[in-house]
Amino acid sequence: MTDSIRDRLKATGDDSEATAPDAPVSHGEHPVGDPTVSTHHSYHAELDPQSAKRAELAVAALFMLAVVGTLGFIASYVFWPFEYGEEYYEYYTPMLGIFMTLALMGLGAGAILWAKTLMVDDETVQERHLLSSADEDKEGAVAIIKEGAADSGLGKYPILRRSFLMANGALGLIAVPFLFGMGRFQHKEAVMAKTGWHKGSRLLDELGRPVKLGDLEVGGVKSVFPDVPGGRRMADSAALIIRMRPEKLKSRESRKDWVVDGHVVYSVICTHLGCPVKLYEQQTHHLFCPCHQSTFDAADAAKVLFGPAARNLPQLAITLDDEGYFVAQGDFNEPVGPSYWERKPHYKDEVK
Amino acid sequence: MTSTRSRFSGYAVVVLALALLGGVYTAVAAPKTEAEDPVNQSIAVKEGRELYLQGCSTCHGLNNQGGAGGPSLIGVGASSVIFQVESGRMPLARGAAQAQRKMSKYDRTQTDQLAAYIQSVGGGPELPAGRLDDGELALGGDLFRTNCSSCHNFAGVGGALTRAKYAPSLTEASARVIYTAMQTGPENMPRFSDNTLTPDEKRAITRYVRHLTTEAKDPGGAGLGRYGPVPEGLVVFLVGMGLLIVITLWIGARA
Repeated sequence: MTDSIRDRLKATGDDSEATAPDAPVSHGEHPVGDPTVSTHHSYHAELDPQSAKRAELAVAALFMLAVVGTLGFIASYVFWPFEYGEEYYEYYTPMLGIFMTLALMGLGAGAILWAKTLMVDDETVQERHLLSSADEDKEGAVAIIKEGAADSGLGKYPILRRSFLMANGALGLIAVPFLFGMGRFQHKEAVMAKTGWHKGSRLLDELGRPVKLGDLEVGGVKSVFPDVPGGRRMADSAALIIRMRPEKLKSRESRKDWVVDGHVVYSVICTHLGCPVKLYEQQTHHLFCPCHQSTFDAADAAKVLFGPAARNLPQLAITLDDEGYFVAQGDFNEPVGPSYWERKPHYKDEVK
Repeated sequence: MTSTRSRFSGYAVVVLALALLGGVYTAVAAPKTEAEDPVNQSIAVKEGRELYLQGCSTCHGLNNQGGAGGPSLIGVGASSVIFQVESGRMPLARGAAQAQRKMSKYDRTQTDQLAAYIQSVGGGPELPAGRLDDGELALGGDLFRTNCSSCHNFAGVGGALTRAKYAPSLTEASARVIYTAMQTGPENMPRFSDNTLTPDEKRAITRYVRHLTTEAKDPGGAGLGRYGPVPEGLVVFLVGMGLLIVITLWIGARA
């Protein structure tokens, strides 16, 4: 059998000398072995009926495993408890997974074992010819194209040609109005620079109750949302009110009126990539973002002390209304969250 | 003419008035604590003082005033003592970024005695009467996720803070330890006063945390420490990818 393959390899035009099938290959000429010499060892050719029987049973066993897996999957799907609180309900998905694994892998492993053991595995030769067309076909194609170009009349009628080019160019310009939908033009309304907070909104906690002076002790924090319809669900408006000792709070001149007796409010959306910065360390008055470990100083306008954040957390200026509840004096002093191209003009050191 | 007798009589009148005021207040309006019986209370305080002098005064001072070794305990309240002593953090074994939970050195009675003593000295937050873990479970879960999960992880197994500090795992904490931790805000944990989280809300959170530890099952079978995507990714990579590589090698091997 190997002889005929070698003969066929020789026939394709390779002139290298065929060596005897068992002779060692010269590594000086072909470091990886002579590629024209077949080294394929047929497993199937040497298969005796006993080994074949064993292999057949092994493959059949794997296929049967696939059947068992499928039946088990269906049985689990129908009968295994899955409602919260039922006995063993937490093992519902693992049971489905295990049986599905048996079903699919049984089929796959069976097929692989079958291909390795029982399938005929002779080496065959595939012809490789040049893929390009014959020369006369190439010339014929070129002639047709040239003829077609001449027939179109573009060469003959200059006004036609020029007006056609102009029409194509004009059509390309249609893309220009679409550019006005992008970037700076799109953000004219500065939607991303606004949150749900506005002047006079009370600070509501997560259960909707307004926060008043005296609710927090020194070292206390509370998650607050604006007092607008749907405010509790406004993700960009999430803020944290922190109380610390007034003497610890370093307020720069322009932000002196933004705090009330040691109470200060910052946005919790990290200016790095937007994770919630709610880890407050009472004694160090640091705010810590768990995602990339940006650390902000809550006592100093949420200045970045460590980590990849490049800007302070936006601060919400607060004051008290006549009934003693905390209210915002306006929106945050800058857009919340990570940077974006049109962000910079919206930064203010006074209340918006 | 000012005689010694009249000078002292002025002070005597003030002391008498104060004692009268305090006594009337205590009899009429004082909040009830666990040890209502006045005899037991004074025994507890006395025993607590003995324990304090033996085990705590070296760092916290003979008069609870604090010093180089530890802060003042005046005003920290019974809750602080219950938290620190029952979780084993106090007495402190060694200096580190923060005190670590360990085996408690005092049993429950002794802890309560120490707590009563510190409460008697300077006042401060103390435990309410009744059960601490019978709040609304769903409300507790909601509040836990808003207020606690950012540091302690969504399943209460803890997380890292800056500079070797950490929010500890809550799986070992008893209901008393959880409640008092919220009340007193130990070390870097924020303080949740009774106006920030009402006692009912604290009870709800306590119930939820105990539920996480004792009853909550892990849907999917294996919690993998309940840390989330990190251990899950580890299992997928080691087990799943390993298996895939083994299978690939088997497919490609010569028959």
